[in-house]
Amino acid sequence: MRSIWAIAYKEFIQISRDRRTLALLIIMPMMQLMIYGYGINTDVKHLPTYVYDQDRSYLSRRLINAFTQSDYFTVKERVGSLKEAYASLDKGLAQSVLVIPPDFAENIIKKRTTQVQLLIDGTDSTPANVALDASQAIVSAFMQTERLIPIQVLPIDFRPRLWYNPDLKSTYFMLPGLIGLVLQFLVPMITATAIVREKEGGNIEQLLVTPIKPYELILGKIIPYIFIGIFIAISIITTMHLLFVVPIHGSIITLFLLTLVYLVVCLGIGLWASTIADNQQQASQIVMFFAMPSILLSGFIFPTQSMPILVRDISYLIPMTYFLKIVRGIILKGMGFYDLIGQVWPLLLMAFLVILFSIRRFSKRMA
Amino acid sequence: MPDIAISADKLTKRFGKFTAVDEISFEIPYGSIFGFLGANGAGKSTTIRMLCGILAPTSGTGKVGGFDVQAQPEQIKTVIGYVSQRFSLYSDLNVIENLTFYGQIYGLYGINLQNRIQEVLSLTGLERFRQRLAGELSGGWKQKLAIANAILHRPKIIFLDEPTAGLDPLSRRGIWELLYQLAEEGVSLFVTTHYMEEAERCNTIAFISDGKLLKIGQPAALRQELHDKILEVTCQPLMKASRLFLKVEGVRGVTVYGTTINLNVTDEKIVEARVIETARKEGITITAIKPIAASLEDVFSDLDSGRRSDA
Repeated sequence: MRSIWAIAYKEFIQISRDRRTLALLIIMPMMQLMIYGYGINTDVKHLPTYVYDQDRSYLSRRLINAFTQSDYFTVKERVGSLKEAYASLDKGLAQSVLVIPPDFAENIIKKRTTQVQLLIDGTDSTPANVALDASQAIVSAFMQTERLIPIQVLPIDFRPRLWYNPDLKSTYFMLPGLIGLVLQFLVPMITATAIVREKEGGNIEQLLVTPIKPYELILGKIIPYIFIGIFIAISIITTMHLLFVVPIHGSIITLFLLTLVYLVVCLGIGLWASTIADNQQQASQIVMFFAMPSILLSGFIFPTQSMPILVRDISYLIPMTYFLKIVRGIILKGMGFYDLIGQVWPLLLMAFLVILFSIRRFSKRMA
Repeated sequence: MPDIAISADKLTKRFGKFTAVDEISFEIPYGSIFGFLGANGAGKSTTIRMLCGILAPTSGTGKVGGFDVQAQPEQIKTVIGYVSQRFSLYSDLNVIENLTFYGQIYGLYGINLQNRIQEVLSLTGLERFRQRLAGELSGGWKQKLAIANAILHRPKIIFLDEPTAGLDPLSRRGIWELLYQLAEEGVSLFVTTHYMEEAERCNTIAFISDGKLLKIGQPAALRQELHDKILEVTCQPLMKASRLFLKVEGVRGVTVYGTTINLNVTDEKIVEARVIETARKEGITITAIKPIAASLEDVFSDLDSGRRSDA
């Protein structure tokens, strides 16, 4: 037991002298927070729009107003021909083009159906979808406010409401997920390189002839990184809450305990990588190899529900998939431990298996 | 406590079909320096690893400090010290931190540990480098730190794998003075080395080649055992002479030194006459010719060439 603390203590000294790793530990999480908090904004607003208004009537101006007032569209330019309108899309100057025919107002007054065209740049599906949905809502609202259709009593009074993130802020969704991403990336990386460093430096050779047991060595090496992982998690949660004002609805204690479980899984991955790698470079390559698919398949950016079945099955093997549901559930929805039990047990199982497997592999390699 | 610190009885290690160590046997008493000599890949490190309890022998037995290498490797680890060939302490920890860490691993704590660290620091002369990072010590001081580290827990047996490799002569002498001091305190030292003059400093030396123990004994006895006599010839031109002297009947080997040639000969009187005769005929100027005592290097090269001609 005392040997474990001796190792943990000397590991702390070594970490405190390793300026590069220390910088990585502090800068990387903060950088990610800034990028996802300020830089990447998946909220689609103010799509640059060109307008080709051939009617130039009171009604056509009202329609254009309805588009701009929605905040989804910003009129950048008015053009005088279809050719110019198409060119603006081709050149990427406009995300959408609103085309109003010359007989727009006249047709409406004579109670005839008239056409309005919205051309949308579909290259990037996210803003295109937003433009599509928003335009439909804008036009139907326009028809009602202008009393173009009779006010009727609908058989179904349909009232959709957004819960948990009513303003659909992407920071609410991304930043809690970032805890999972950063831990899954940093913790295995530093754990694996720290263990491999003993191999590279020949220190293992000296330790082998001491009475220390493999499990003592492993636990001693891991303990400092548990603290570092906790430090990273706390710093992300604090910044997220204070700087980006993401509300935390659930219990901090539950969040802390379940983050610990996830941390153990991450440590286990690092440990396992260290048993394969011969040098620090290999170790970080192995960690990267597993981190990359986790980012894409865990639901960090793309929802797992919309994945093809085979890919979704793979996502169930990724620890981050479960942890993302846990952090988002606790922070955004205020879910409790029992609500998350379906996510907790796979993580616990993974933690147990990966640690058991790595310690056995490590002991074998040491002998 | 038994008088024998380390013993091996037909100790063997095979890796697949390759026999790294082949039935070697020896006994090393406490308080003596045992020099283990052999070329790279001869089986020195494998032997050390088996005796340290980190590699199980294929067959045969070994006892270190009264514990069996096969059955009690963990007990062995508590009674031995080990200095590896490659510096294997932590370069980014300072002298005190390294010693504190390893002391704790060996179960030393608190005031006991502090006192013991002070003792090994004054024994090795490392006191003035207390706060120096191990990686910033020179080669000789690094090795002294490794030795200080190995004796923290007062082991009665220490294994040193080429402790002086790559060091300057002064540092090497310093290391050996330290080793003598330890031996005087009753510690048994198992040392591998490449340097023949260091082998002379050992109480007992053993030659290992291709996993087999060729010779074991005291350095002086081994030198006397050498059948050949050595004839030292000072002459000019050196290289031409060495080629010609090799063809002289009764000359078994020629070694060229700076300004002299050593001839391994069967009978110095007869061969001396033949060599002088050859020199006269070929126009080689001999300024001096005299029989000298064999060195361990001569013993070693004789053993090695003997083995090669056997094979």
